[in-house]
Amino acid sequence: MPIAIEEILETIRMTEVEHFDIRTVTMGISLKDCCSDDLNKLKKNIYEKIMRVAAEHVMVAKKIESDYGISIANKRIAVTPISLIADAYHKEDFIEIAQTLDKAAHELGIDFLGGFSALVQKGATPGEQNMMHAVPDALASTQHICSSVNVATTKAGINMDAVKLMGEVIKQTAQLTGDKDAIGCAKLVVFANVPEDNPFIAGAFHGVSEPDVVINVGISGPGVILRTIREIPDTLDISTLSDHIRRMAFKITRAGEYLGKKVAEMQNVQFGIVDISLAPTPVPGDSVADILKAIGLEDVGAAGTTAALALLNDSVKRGGMMASSYVGGMSGAFIPVSEDEGMIRAAERGNISIEKLEAMTSVCSVGLDMIAIPGKTSAEIISGIIADECAIGISNNKTTAVRIIPVPGKDVGESVNYGGLLGMAPIMGCSQLSNNIFINRGGRFPAPVKGINN
Amino acid sequence: MNHLDEKDIRKLTEETVKQLGSSATPELVENVVKEAIDRIQYKAGSHVIDTSPLKKAALQQSGNRIIVTAFGKNRVGILAGLTGILARHKCNILDLTQKLLQEFFTIMILVDINESPVDFDTIKTDVTRVGEELDLKVVIQHEEIFNAMHRV
Repeated sequence: MPIAIEEILETIRMTEVEHFDIRTVTMGISLKDCCSDDLNKLKKNIYEKIMRVAAEHVMVAKKIESDYGISIANKRIAVTPISLIADAYHKEDFIEIAQTLDKAAHELGIDFLGGFSALVQKGATPGEQNMMHAVPDALASTQHICSSVNVATTKAGINMDAVKLMGEVIKQTAQLTGDKDAIGCAKLVVFANVPEDNPFIAGAFHGVSEPDVVINVGISGPGVILRTIREIPDTLDISTLSDHIRRMAFKITRAGEYLGKKVAEMQNVQFGIVDISLAPTPVPGDSVADILKAIGLEDVGAAGTTAALALLNDSVKRGGMMASSYVGGMSGAFIPVSEDEGMIRAAERGNISIEKLEAMTSVCSVGLDMIAIPGKTSAEIISGIIADECAIGISNNKTTAVRIIPVPGKDVGESVNYGGLLGMAPIMGCSQLSNNIFINRGGRFPAPVKGINN
Repeated sequence: MNHLDEKDIRKLTEETVKQLGSSATPELVENVVKEAIDRIQYKAGSHVIDTSPLKKAALQQSGNRIIVTAFGKNRVGILAGLTGILARHKCNILDLTQKLLQEFFTIMILVDINESPVDFDTIKTDVTRVGEELDLKVVIQHEEIFNAMHRV
């Protein structure tokens, strides 16, 4: 056999037992050529382009799954930030455009489509203002649309007016989707230093410098890393532990890149990047929290959690970067609460707090992700949480984000269950101290000295 | 002749057996064939003298190759069942390895499906069905994924 029997068995164990899959194959589609001064024409152009370009996306991904025996959990689409192609339009128009995107996603059999987005780190145009105001209604009246807004970068600083507005937008989205435990907020993320080729929902969009159509891949595989760590003795030193993680990250990145390239090749589309983030799911054993525990913590939240996460994140990057020349997107460990079984349990037991999660976001890939907080939390407090994450992002020159859900009518001790990949979230407490004066100041938070690096 | 394919090796083996006549034992034939292959490849200017020509020949064959892996409780007819359905679809078995751990049976078959009149999906469906009739779990994958994951 050209391939060793052990290698074949390991691969099969990874897919059959340890939930190794390709988390998402996301097709990025530029809508720059769809612009029009007539709303109906614009909607028609958008609909027709997506339907034409992505017609075979789901079918091709399914064929690749079958050929290589590795599941591709999600087949998704990201489009050019809608604020850019509809900058001259009003709030109501943006809602209609969101519904057009939703219709295309539904007809193509795509679960989520990202790109109802705006990049406003330095300031917002009237069109971008309109789009942000349209987000709550757009998310409440669609099934598949995801929205993201970038409010800060290391180069530009933080747009505190946008931070304030997004606190209000999140509150309104929660209220408008209150009958479904504020599920709209699970599809809305506020970023600092957003990557423009991220394949993961809800933050995916097709960056302005991207080609016409591109395939980006997000890997998964916490279960595989977890097994690797569990197999080695507790007495093994940290550098050797890192080495084991690195080797496994190499394998899963290679698989992701290979399958992504195949999907791109079959559709005659350029391959973009592989995002080497470890993405957990609510399935038992597919948890980043469990990896941190296996490294040697009683539970996530223990002293040492941030260090363990930094070790995991760095080890995965080392392996991933050896495996692929085109590593991009977020590329780090995700620590969502509702989407990670180990994290859910830690939150239920009160072992992990929002403050500890905030510290962890300074070394992981994203930020405060899929965290349910009490419905009584004010828009200003949510803006304050966003500002904190932005400060961590721009000061450390990394991506950070906030995807937080103020669940109307619910408080600490209760929980929300969205099912599927979005999972289940116990409501976590957060500081209710007032920050009104700080948030209402508005203006531009200066770029950190670190950003002036030429 | 830079690379030997399976056909060449088979011919070489047949010739060796003929020449050795009654003194042919499996070990002797294997040694003689290996040496012959080394000589041929060395002459052909190959920088690497590969001592397992089958492996090399298999690796360099272009085409559509799949790996069939099946596991389950050992019983009569597993090999016959799986290879039978592959033969019916004109799939060429390039290599095969099996392992028996107590009662638990694992078999891996490297198959060239280039000459098969039916497509990958049909082969997959039919082999999986035969496997299920024998109480086996069958996984069928294109070979390249293993190269991508396990080779630098």
